[in-house]
Amino acid sequence: MTAPLSKTIVLWIFVVAVLVLLSAPTIVILGASFTSGNIITFPPEGFSLKWYEKIATSRDLWDAFLRSLYVSAICTIVAIPVGTLAGIVLAKYAIRFEKSVQIYLLLPFTIPLIGSGIGLMLIFGEARLLGQLWPVGLACCVINLPFMIWAVTASASSLDPDLELAAASCGAPPLSTFLHVTLPAVMPGVISGSLLMFILALNEFLVSLLLTDARIVTLPVQIYNSIRSIITPDLAAISVVFIACAALAIVLLDRLVGLEIFLKSK
Amino acid sequence: MMPAALKGSAIKPKLEWPTVAVSVKSVNMVYDGVHAVRSASFDLETGKFLTILGPSGSGKTTLLRLIAGFQRPTSGEIFINGAAVSAVPPHKRSIGMVFQKLALFPHMTAAENVAFPLKMRRSDARAIPARVERYLDMVRLGGYGTRRVHELSGGQQQRVAIARALVFEPDLLLLDEPLAALDRKLREEMQLEFRRIQRELGVTTINVTHDQREALVVSDEIIVMDGGQIQQKARPSETYRTPSNAFVANFIGVTNFLDAPDGERRAIRAEKIRIAPTRNGLVGADTIVEGIVADAIFEGERVVYEVRVASLGDTLLRVFDHDPSAHSQLEPGSAVYLGWTAGDVLEFKP
Repeated sequence: MTAPLSKTIVLWIFVVAVLVLLSAPTIVILGASFTSGNIITFPPEGFSLKWYEKIATSRDLWDAFLRSLYVSAICTIVAIPVGTLAGIVLAKYAIRFEKSVQIYLLLPFTIPLIGSGIGLMLIFGEARLLGQLWPVGLACCVINLPFMIWAVTASASSLDPDLELAAASCGAPPLSTFLHVTLPAVMPGVISGSLLMFILALNEFLVSLLLTDARIVTLPVQIYNSIRSIITPDLAAISVVFIACAALAIVLLDRLVGLEIFLKSK
Repeated sequence: MMPAALKGSAIKPKLEWPTVAVSVKSVNMVYDGVHAVRSASFDLETGKFLTILGPSGSGKTTLLRLIAGFQRPTSGEIFINGAAVSAVPPHKRSIGMVFQKLALFPHMTAAENVAFPLKMRRSDARAIPARVERYLDMVRLGGYGTRRVHELSGGQQQRVAIARALVFEPDLLLLDEPLAALDRKLREEMQLEFRRIQRELGVTTINVTHDQREALVVSDEIIVMDGGQIQQKARPSETYRTPSNAFVANFIGVTNFLDAPDGERRAIRAEKIRIAPTRNGLVGADTIVEGIVADAIFEGERVVYEVRVASLGDTLLRVFDHDPSAHSQLEPGSAVYLGWTAGDVLEFKP
């Protein structure tokens, strides 16, 4: 590796610039959350944990946070069986309308969330489900399910098709083959997909905004409501909590699946 | 043919000996418009090691998968130990299989892989660990049971796959080119290993390969397939010495075809042709032709010559010279004499 010096310098400048751009919002919010002043600023004035103390003792925020966890849990619990089966079927069988299904799986990137949100609001309104919390989890699941299916499909398509035949020749009937061989083999995809679904539901704002009312707001909506009145450093502290949740998910992923495998599967 | 242990004893062998373990009767397989197997029929005796040899696309793997039960034949029937099995799903057949890419369960240890068939076939749970240990010992992997599959070398993974296929004492062992991916040295080592284990256990075995050397080394019998059809079924030495047609002769060994005016095809093996710089060196040969050395390849224990023979329509004959010390190596361009005896010429009906 003997690239000319000028080339090395240019490359490094790019790398550093990208890293700064990507991490700037996180660093700013992290710094701002430790300010001892009363307004949100960066760099922070002094150092204190008082804003963390404030959010920890705020009843409203805790309730909203617990509701968000509940929504994420519902979303993940529904997504695991549905997404896993759909992912395996998509990877294993040459199904009809495969092209159409693939296009459907691109929807989360193409249809604006406001569109799907309003659609779901109409459906749930018609079914008289608005005002409850579990439909929000279901909605998050519907909107983000393609991510889960992708994760599982990536695992399932790298599966040696002979594995299931090998299980059969070992005497395993189809159900045992699925439980003992197919499922464990796609587990890395199931785990990464579930963590992704959990985090996406935890952060979901627009759909929650449309489907919740004042009594059952989730944390992102609660934060949005606060911003409309006054921006105080406690919002920075809450954001740091969100970042911590995402970081936790990544650590879990690394422990359970291995980040290398996760990144390769994309 | 009675086993030695039974000779002269009061115990009478069962009605028929030897018995037929596998019987394939007029099996056809057509899928996607491809006639992959054409009216294949053969019987295999219990305890024998059969190799199905053929180029890729010859239908050999399809035939193996039909026997395993992964596919159902379009027509015809397969019998295992006398029972028709076409309607029996693979997990209810007593067949151990070693796959081309091994298909070991990646999330299990070596011992868990070997224990899996026993668990699925509801063996006595207390007896499983000892049995697994015994089979790991048999494939010389004693003490490796706790390793994960990816922690084992290629050869060790092969052995785990063999132990997994044999641990439940199946009626039949199927080998789907499991050695194809190995390097030559390991492949030859594993061929002998397969042979040793198969003899030790006496399990009826069907092996699929495109490697003629492997087929000759390991088998009691060889089936040569081409274009979905069985070309010949015979013992290895018979297959080599008296190939039933031009395809078999060409596929096994190095064969020169000699143009014949009467329509029959005549051929001679490369090692049956003698080569000498003078006519005097070929005493005893029935046929002697003149040629020009086109190429000479030194391979250590032998020299391979390609000789252009004008009297045979300018064909290139390949000649193995197994005693290169008899005369100095002949250089390309030099005039030589080739000779052979009439008894070594193979003749095929067109």
